[in-house]
Amino acid sequence: MTVLIRHLLGWTGLLLCYFAGKVLVLMWELPLPAALTGLLLMLLMLFVRGGAVSVATAGAPLLRHMSVLFVPAVLGVGVYWQSIYLHGWALAAAIVGTTVVALGLTGLVAQRVLQRRLVQTE
Amino acid sequence: MTLAQALLQIGADVSRVADATFSVAGLQWILITLVCYTAALALFRLAGGSPWLHPLVITATGVGMTLYLTETSIADFQTYAGIIHWLLGPATVALAIPMYNQWQQVRDLGWHLLVSVMAGGILAPLLAWTTLYLLDAPLALQMTMLVKSITTPLAMEASANIGGVPALAAVFVITTGIVGAVVTPAVFHIFRVTGAAAQGVALGTVAHAVGTAKALQMSEQAGAMATLGLCLNGIVTAVILPLML
Repeated sequence: MTVLIRHLLGWTGLLLCYFAGKVLVLMWELPLPAALTGLLLMLLMLFVRGGAVSVATAGAPLLRHMSVLFVPAVLGVGVYWQSIYLHGWALAAAIVGTTVVALGLTGLVAQRVLQRRLVQTE
Repeated sequence: MTLAQALLQIGADVSRVADATFSVAGLQWILITLVCYTAALALFRLAGGSPWLHPLVITATGVGMTLYLTETSIADFQTYAGIIHWLLGPATVALAIPMYNQWQQVRDLGWHLLVSVMAGGILAPLLAWTTLYLLDAPLALQMTMLVKSITTPLAMEASANIGGVPALAAVFVITTGIVGAVVTPAVFHIFRVTGAAAQGVALGTVAHAVGTAKALQMSEQAGAMATLGLCLNGIVTAVILPLML
């Protein structure tokens, strides 16, 4: 029973932040995505309250199974097939090539800057 | 827009999604999607979490084949299963939870962490955009490519704000994640990235959620650092890009 109440409370919190974010973006014509504004509001709420168990309970399944939520959007890519096909090589180079380089260079920077700091404190 | 107008618009969105969900076709397509997803999860586990078999790829293939066989258009499916897409909003808000949980780490590591995440957050989109620019790809593709390293829900929203295409953003992001997770061992070997924390930050920053899953397989510390990279880079990029462009 308490778990159920926790889920309900958590969902209320998530939806309130989401809708509040949307209202703010629409009213003030903010150049920010609506759900991101909701995320920032939720973060603010978590800091003010020092965390919220109910939100964590309700958010966990959403975060764990987020992949399935992308299915309608990903299927929508069929409309752009022509453009993907035309620029296939450029896209492949941009995705595969730069991901490899960015991953390596970021790791290198982190190894120098971050890993060293961790070794010092241990 | 006034408060009343904004609330009306939100109400209209919600009732449209609710109407579609509680129709026979709506329930049917939601059920089909969930069945495909359950099967995809089982397959993913069976393969030991191989990034090639990411549940989204398998689920989308399964649903796509069902649509083809039943001669249903993708646009109809998107209307019927609208609630699945709509839930991305609350799910994005829920990303505040891991960010909050990791905040102590951000304070402890300070600029050491920020510099590392910024390296990836700036390099990945810049390199990808330059590649498309030099190869003369259309502007919409260039704009979409800028968000390829941040987590899918934020990428879709941000791409819409900067003149990109959300559906393409989702595909670019997932592909980036899978490529990142697959090439990780070789790349870290070549670049001599040996520390678990460094590996985690790079994976989370450059390859978002798929990279984070890979980091979690490597070690708990790598996983925690990847979560940090994912949240920080996602939030900061999604805030800055629409303001910049």
